[in-house]
Formats: sequence, C-alpha cells, structure tokens
Amino acid sequence: MNMEQALQTYIEESRGLLEEMEGILLRIENEARHDADDINAMFRSAHTIKGSAGLFGLDAIVSFTHVVENALDKVRDGALEISGGLVELLLKCCDHIGLLIAAVPNGNGELDAAQAADGDALLAMLRRMLGAEPAEAAVPAMHEAGVACSGGGPLDGDCWHISLAFGRDVLKNGMDPISFIRYLSTIGDIVSVVTDDSALPELGAMDPESCYLAFSIEFKSEADKKTIEDAFEFVRDDCKLRILPPPSHLSAFVERLEHASGNTDMLGQLLIEAGILTDHELEEALAAQARAVAADCSSRPSIGEMLVKEGVVQKEVVDVALEKQRQIREHKAQEAKFIRVNAEKLDELINLVGELVIAGASASLRARRSGDVALLESTSAVSSLVEEIRDGALKLRMVEIGETFSRFQRVVRDVSKELGKDIGLEISGAETELDKTVVEKIGDPLMHLVRNAMDHGIEPAGARAASGKPARGTLRLNAYHDSGSIVIEVADDGGGLNKEKILHKAIEHGVVAPGQALTDQEIYNLIFEAGFSTADKVTNLSGRGVGMDVVKRNIQALRGTVDIDSEPGRGATVRIRLPLTLAIIDGFLVGVGESAFVVPLDMVLECVELPEADRRLAETRNYINLRGEVLPFVRLRDEFEIKAPPGKRENIVVVQYGGQKAGFVVDELLGEFQTVIKPLGSVFRHLKSISGSTILGTGEVALILDVPALLQLGVARDGQMLAHERDRAGFGAYEVSADLTGE
Amino acid sequence: MAKTIMIVDDSASLRQVVSIALKGAGFEVIEACDGQDALSKLNGQKIHLIISDVNMPNMDGISFVREAKKLPNYKFTPVIMLTTESQEAKKQAGQAAGAKAWVVKPFQPAQMLTAVSKLILP
Amino acid sequence: MNIRVQRENGISRLKMEGELTIYQASEIRQELIGHLADCDEMEIDLADVVEMDTAGCQLLLAAKHEGLQQGKSVRFVSHSQAALEIIDLFQMAAQFGDPLLIPAQR
Repeated sequence: MNMEQALQTYIEESRGLLEEMEGILLRIENEARHDADDINAMFRSAHTIKGSAGLFGLDAIVSFTHVVENALDKVRDGALEISGGLVELLLKCCDHIGLLIAAVPNGNGELDAAQAADGDALLAMLRRMLGAEPAEAAVPAMHEAGVACSGGGPLDGDCWHISLAFGRDVLKNGMDPISFIRYLSTIGDIVSVVTDDSALPELGAMDPESCYLAFSIEFKSEADKKTIEDAFEFVRDDCKLRILPPPSHLSAFVERLEHASGNTDMLGQLLIEAGILTDHELEEALAAQARAVAADCSSRPSIGEMLVKEGVVQKEVVDVALEKQRQIREHKAQEAKFIRVNAEKLDELINLVGELVIAGASASLRARRSGDVALLESTSAVSSLVEEIRDGALKLRMVEIGETFSRFQRVVRDVSKELGKDIGLEISGAETELDKTVVEKIGDPLMHLVRNAMDHGIEPAGARAASGKPARGTLRLNAYHDSGSIVIEVADDGGGLNKEKILHKAIEHGVVAPGQALTDQEIYNLIFEAGFSTADKVTNLSGRGVGMDVVKRNIQALRGTVDIDSEPGRGATVRIRLPLTLAIIDGFLVGVGESAFVVPLDMVLECVELPEADRRLAETRNYINLRGEVLPFVRLRDEFEIKAPPGKRENIVVVQYGGQKAGFVVDELLGEFQTVIKPLGSVFRHLKSISGSTILGTGEVALILDVPALLQLGVARDGQMLAHERDRAGFGAYEVSADLTGE
Repeated sequence: MAKTIMIVDDSASLRQVVSIALKGAGFEVIEACDGQDALSKLNGQKIHLIISDVNMPNMDGISFVREAKKLPNYKFTPVIMLTTESQEAKKQAGQAAGAKAWVVKPFQPAQMLTAVSKLILP
Repeated sequence: MNIRVQRENGISRLKMEGELTIYQASEIRQELIGHLADCDEMEIDLADVVEMDTAGCQLLLAAKHEGLQQGKSVRFVSHSQAALEIIDLFQMAAQFGDPLLIPAQR
C-alpha cells in the first residue's frame, strides 16, 4: 500500500460517506423527522472525511469540512435546530465536498476561483446559522485537527484524575513522591491533592524509611495520557498508578474510538490507538487477566472487564470500544466476503472466456464431423462446463441497479424544487442485476426520462387537485428481468400523453402523413422522434425538443429499445428494454447461401418452413399468414444482397421483440450457438441491421443480426410499400391497415 | 541552596554537555570519570542525585552504585543510569544495585533535564 | 538534625534544627517515641527545619496520630519554608491541624 493507493482509498471512502450523508439528509427532508442516529452518522461522516483529509494534507477539505462538522455537532447537541434551510445548505455542502474530493487526484483538492468562492459563500451561510463564529476560530489549523486531547478548558470537571499508591521502597530508592508531584506541575496545573495517610502505621511500628502515603490528584493539563504517565516512569514498577481522563475528554475518546483506523480488532490496542490506554496499563491488565485465569480456570474475565474493574478505563469508554471492536470485526467479515477486483482484469477474463467459448465450439464442431461418439461426449461435457463458466464470468460483472436508482432521490428532490412541484420517488426492483457496462451507460438516458416525466408528465398541484389526485405526484422507477432482458420503467402518475396533440404535432412536422392510421402505441412512441416536444411551455429542464430522440438513440446503442405506455389522466410509463450483457449471447445460427447469421436466441419464438405457396406469394408481399396472424418478414438474402440462389427450401425464423413479431427468411437452420460478440469496427458502424460479429468454430465469421433495427427497417419498408400501394390503388390508410390486421 | 548532582562518565565531552545543561538549570555539578574516581569524591558532602554511565574503566557503574549505596550519606540518593537500548541484563543488575531511573543514550540535553526534574528540583 | 527539648508542666517543646529527611528518619523516630512517652502535651517547632521530604512528613504525621491515640496533643508551630512547601504540596494542612498553621502564616 503506497500513498497513492491510500489516497485512492480515501477518495472512494469519502464518496461513500458523502452519499450516506446525502441519503440521510434527503430522508430527513422527506419524512420531516430525524433521530439521533441520523445526526450522529452524518457527524461521523464529516468527521472522518476531515480527519483523513488531514493525513493527506488536503487542507482545503479539512477547513471546509470542519465547519460542516461544527454545524452537525451543534445539531447533535441540540444547539442548532435542523430545518429545511439547513438541510438544503448541508446538501449543497455535500456537493461542495464532493467537488473538493473530485479535485484531489489533480491538484491536491484545490478548486478554481469560482468554485472556491462558492465554497466560501456556503461557509459564510453555515457560519451565520452557527451563530456568527469568527472565521478564524472556525477554521482550525491543520495540525490541531487530529491531535490528542482537547481538554484544559475553563470548565470544572475538566481534570485528569490521577491516583497514586506508592510502593514501600520508593523512598529508599531515592524516589520521593514530592518530586513527581512537583514535576506534574510543570506539565499542567495541580488543582487538588488528597493525601491518604490511612496506611501509616503507629509511630512505634512504622519503618520511617518506607513510604505509606497514597495520593489522588486532580490535574488540569493539555498533555495526553502517555505524557502524564511518563512523569512517573521511574517509579512505574513501584507504584500503583491510575490515570483517568477528564470527563470532558470522554466524548473525545469515544469519538476517537469511533474513528479508529480498524487496523486492529483487539480491544486493548483499540484503546491504546485512541490514546485512552497506555502500553503499560495494557500490560498490567493482561497480567492481571492471566493471574485471574490461573486462579480460577473456569472464568476468563475479558480484558474490558479487567480494565473497568481495575479502574483504568471508564466503563462507558470500554462499552464504546467493544462496540467499535464488533463493528471492525463485522467489517472484516464483510471484507472477507467481498474482494475488490480491477474491472480491467474482469474484462480480460470475460474476453478469455469468450475465446474459450469459440474454441469450445470449434472442438464440438470437429467432434461432430468426426462422428467419434466418445469424443462427442467429452466435448459436450466440456461445452456444458464452458457454458457454466461463461455464465459465472458474466455474473461477476453484474451489479444491482439500486445504486443508480437511488441517485435519483436527489435529482427528484432538486428538480421538483426547481419546478415548484411536490414529487416523491418510489423505487422498486432495486436488486435487479445487470451488466456493469450497461449500468454505466444507462444513467444519462434515465436522467432525461426522469426529468421529462417530472416536467411534462406530472401536472402542477392545482391541476392535480382539480382531477382529484393527491397533491404529491409520484414518480416510480422499477426494474425487472424479462426473457434475457432487463426492463427499466420510469412511470409517473401525471396526466398521461395527449394523443391528439402528439398526432397534430407529428403531422405538422411531417413525421406522419395526415390521415395515416396509427395505433395508440405508435402515436405515443412518436415522442421519441427527432425534434418532438409537446410542451406548451418550454422550461429550462426539457421542452427544447432535444432529448427523447437522444434517449432513444442512446438506448439503441446499447442494443435496447424504448417505448411508452400512457393512460389519459392516469400517467405514463416509459419502458426501457436492455440486454443483460453486451458480451456474450446465446445465438441461433442460420445460413443464407454461404453466409451465416446469428439471431439472439432469446428473441427467437419458433422456426417454420416457408410453405411453397407462401414462397411464391412472398415474392410480391412481405408477410405471410402464420396460423391466422399476419407475420411480416424480412428476406435476409435481399437484405444483405446475397447473390447465391435460394435453396430448395426456405425457412422462417420467427422473432419477437418488444411486443412485435416478425420473420426472417433464411435457407438453413443451423441450431443454437454460443456467441461471443465482437464489436464491429468503426468502418461498419453505419450498418444498421448488424449489431456485431462472431467467429464460428470453423473460423468463419458470422454476422449478428440487430433484430430491433431489422424489425424497424421491415416495418418502415412495409409502411412505404403499403403507402405506395395505397397511393396506386387509391385506398385510404384505414382500409390498408384493416387488411393488415384483419386476417 | 542549590542541589548537587554528580555525573560519572568516562567521556569528557558527555560530562561537559550534561554539566552545562544541569548548571544552566540551577544545579551544582560534580564530575567524575569512572566509578573509582566517583567513590573517592563521595566524601560526605550532600549529593542529591547521581548520574552514572554503566561501562567505564576501573570501576563500572553498577559496582559503583552498589558501593555508593553502602555509604550512609548516599544510601538513599537517587541514581540515573545511562544505558543503551540493548542492555536489558545490565539494567536488571543496575536495578538490583539500587539504580531505578534510566536514560537511554543517545539523549538530548533536554531529555536529561526532564529526567532529572522528575526526581529532584533545583 | 538536632532536637532540643524544653519541658515545662508536662509540656515538651521540641525544636528541630537541620534536615528532616529519610537519612535522619530512624533516629528522629526513636527520639519522638521517647519524648512523647515523657510528656502530656507536645509542641514541635519547625522553624529551623531546612529540608524535609516525604519520609520526614510521614514521621510528623505518625507522631500526631500517636499523640491522638495516647490522648496527648501534638502541635506543630513556626513551620519553616521547607516544611510549608511540602505540606502545601500534599495539601495536608487539615491533617496537620488548622491551628498549627495559623501561627506560621501570621
């Protein structure tokens, strides 16, 4: 562990703490109540961020966070009421600390002038709330932050309590209690000394060279326990010494305990680290423990009990230390359950697994060709293992979507304030897992959808009241798995989409021809077309007409789709459907002429032979009658301009995607095939109907069909063709579509 | 009345440094270069503290302390032994001889003064 | 340490001169035991005590306890600076007895 890595750990740790603080603040605001644990947790977060920043010399973070910590401290003490205004301010402070932390890797956490000025403004506001503390007093010198004790104030009860019982021989050894007590007065103020002479025997019985006195001293000092103990270093073995910290230090000790590094989970070491116990005291207690065990094997007093019993450490402190010990152990246990892995290493592994799948497929193919049954058996065993490894490897990259979702708590809060609407966020399916790469890319589109739903979806409070809805609008984020995809829903309980308005606008923009018949679904989905916005009022959030089309493009780039459902007066739901992973799919291999294509298996519904009658008909129209249903199809031969003539038979692979069914006409059905997706080079980016390529066991390349794109292409072409037919035949759109759906 | 400290060490420079520091703090200082020399200087006068090295020619520090503690005027005189970290066995022998305080070499003059001030005041 | 004794009507007045430390403790203890046995009341003058340590302090305390036990008053008067310093440091004025210190503070 070098400094660089430690710093990285600090950055991650601080981000986590900030998120925690933010979460608590939002909850306080939402529920309009809070308990002591909330405030403590926030205080600790701020304290830890500050304390660790000190270790790295990040002065800007130390000084800013210090004021935040002060504020939280006052809230904790009840000196400051936590109000909406304070929550707002603290949230902004969290953001600012986040900025400071983000600036750490390049430039030591210093911000540019504008950001720094923002920070100063926040501090000024915070200080006003704190009751106009002078700035200098509020910003600590770096070094003060972590230093041992803060005692020595003017308060009573701010004294160390030292009890000293000298051994009989100290005087003979030339050690006089007077000297030690005098020495104490050089490192602090002796407030009072109580000399106990009760052990002094009668004059006739005493050894005048022995020491019979014991002392208890109230001592006021800035020194730490070790320094005080050191005053007695020369008589340490010859006296019974108890040094109890001032009551005012208790909280400081407790705090230091709570921020123990976690390097040790031994109670004694924890106490020493926090400056509560000295090495010598621990040794003594351990020895006493060993004696106790030797005396009575059946009982083994804990070191904590020993310390309390011997009066070395207050019980309260030991209790806190025990709690901390428990936490550290728990944390360690958790650490044992999870290991951090470099994402690159994981990608490398996935890549290798990909190669393994290809190599495995190659072996299977050869085995099949050889007709050697034993070999076939072994390769199939290998294949099934490889499949498991593949699934396992992919699962390694799966993360829960919950974290992405919960980030929207803040967004919803801020945006609803901005819009002056009261909107709450409900999250479900947070535990749904999807590939890390997908999670990373879904944030922006989701953000857009959420903002859009809040801006356009949910009506102003007045309109809601008029239609008898609760004043508080609700936005719902939901996620679930559905046949090899993850579905993410963004739902609002607003007014729903206005069909007429959309249609009107679409016609106005020439997206739809006047009189063209569209299903409700199709109308709603028009809002994903470029340059579409139905809001009367253009707000600064959305309504600029860029957005929904960008959302759609981003999602398509992830091999996903997006569509929208709406119920007038009840709200709208945007549904994003994404592949679980981007790396490997189960494919269905088909052949057209010499070429091979892969259709993602989870979209394949069935395969049917294209009947002779339909083959002839299909030359003129692009749909067949499949068990009474209209099934539009795409001829891959035409689509990819394959010159080789069709074989004697043709097959249709029926696929379904996003509620839409279609068929691909191919020559051969080659069966299931594990497909490792190799992204296409940038040269092929413009190819709409291909989402990638893969290498077959034989070393040949197969293209992976982009089913959603092909479906759209097919539908669009159908539309054109139908429109063409309609123009030629003078049919209204209605009849044509009746023809389409009527069969 | 200033208190008197005896410093016993075969290194003249060490004696000098220590004695400058102690005099500066208000003590009287008597210097001796080994155990024998030191014993010969314990002639009944009041000495409040002895600082002695362990390894010295003629008579080592531990023997010297043992002898000194036999003298009625010095049997209760506190002793600081100067030692190095590794002399644990010597330390025990020294303790048995009556030297209860230890300062580890090398030390800064200020460290010595601190140790002294825990035992006696000027 | 030199102790001069004056006796008068069963009251022994002891004047301690010199050091009252561990070096003299055994010797002084013997003397105190002897003088205490010989009197009904004892007054110890500390004005000429030039040095006192814990052993000396203990001894005085023990003498006072002893007196109490035998029903004899043991007083300390005219505390010297050296004596006062240690009584102050140990904050033992109470144990030494209030009236005993007042003359010294006058």
